[in-house]
Amino acid sequence: MDFYDLHVHSVFSEGKSSIEEIANIASRLGYKGMCFSEYFRGRGRIEKLKKMIKRTENEAGIKIYLGFEARNSKELTKLVKLRREFDVLLVHGGDVDLNRIAVETPEVDILTHPELERNDSGLDQVSAKFAAKNKVAIEVNFREILINYKKSRSKILSFIRRNIMLAKKFHAPIILCSGAVTHWELKDPYCLISMANQLGLELKEAKDAISKIPKSIISQAKERKNKKWIMPGVKVVE
Amino acid sequence: MKKPKTLKPTLRERNRYILFQVISEEPIVYCDLESAIWNACLNFFGELGSSQMSLWIIKNLYDEKKQIGVIRCNNKSVTKVLSALGLLNKLGDIRLTVKILKVSGTIKGLHMK
Repeated sequence: MDFYDLHVHSVFSEGKSSIEEIANIASRLGYKGMCFSEYFRGRGRIEKLKKMIKRTENEAGIKIYLGFEARNSKELTKLVKLRREFDVLLVHGGDVDLNRIAVETPEVDILTHPELERNDSGLDQVSAKFAAKNKVAIEVNFREILINYKKSRSKILSFIRRNIMLAKKFHAPIILCSGAVTHWELKDPYCLISMANQLGLELKEAKDAISKIPKSIISQAKERKNKKWIMPGVKVVE
Repeated sequence: MKKPKTLKPTLRERNRYILFQVISEEPIVYCDLESAIWNACLNFFGELGSSQMSLWIIKNLYDEKKQIGVIRCNNKSVTKVLSALGLLNKLGDIRLTVKILKVSGTIKGLHMK
């Protein structure tokens, strides 16, 4: 089975490890591909990042994709315009309004940690319906569980469980990501699957959430880069 | 000391053996690893939950050079143990991550050699 981790931060955003360190550990842990989700700081950085990623990809023997994480609605509109230039578009969840905008935007691939720094799960049935309609994957972020302890961890677990329940009910895609900031926060895919299983996903669903769903996001990204592609479901036929 | 009779195979618990490798900044000794795994299980599942796992980190199968070890648990709590292993992040100041190599019903099936 091919495993993918589509939410990892390197030194280019909030991360503390270099692209090489992260790629080496990910390849040792058995991942086939991963995506560095960086913050948008101008168009000029995209080419620089692409070059670095290509070099590391050859050295580490792992597929690396470039993603951008929008932290507010302004960034999101900018990134939607540049959608063809990178692979994965993530939205930094946590704010209810931004969560809602993210699930209503078909160009968005992943809504990351919708429950971040909240006292609720950050999603409701309407958002879950939109996520299903626009195929925006709801993320189960392992780092949120890893870095919190006791009361806060148990709260986060209950919010994630609720989001999983909503996503399952309305058939919205769920994706498992490490959300790692350092290469030591990358976890074995089977550990992530087991954790998702503890939180209410069936084993098969949990495996799909780390292999099948990220794979479909990546294949969509490849399709999007084709010049004949116009929008989901529409392309030029000659 | 007299021991009770060994249980019949049908009454015994079914075991699973998890072969894992620790990837860390510095080498880790068995005692530290054992307490870290137990603490991860106790913190995450509590005393009652951990008691239902029949957890045993096998001492003589831990290779300190390769940092490869074996955990025994019952067949119903493999996912619980794996999720607790995922929560191992630090051991003192040493940062680490755990790689799962294989899960088997017998030690022989792990093909350790």
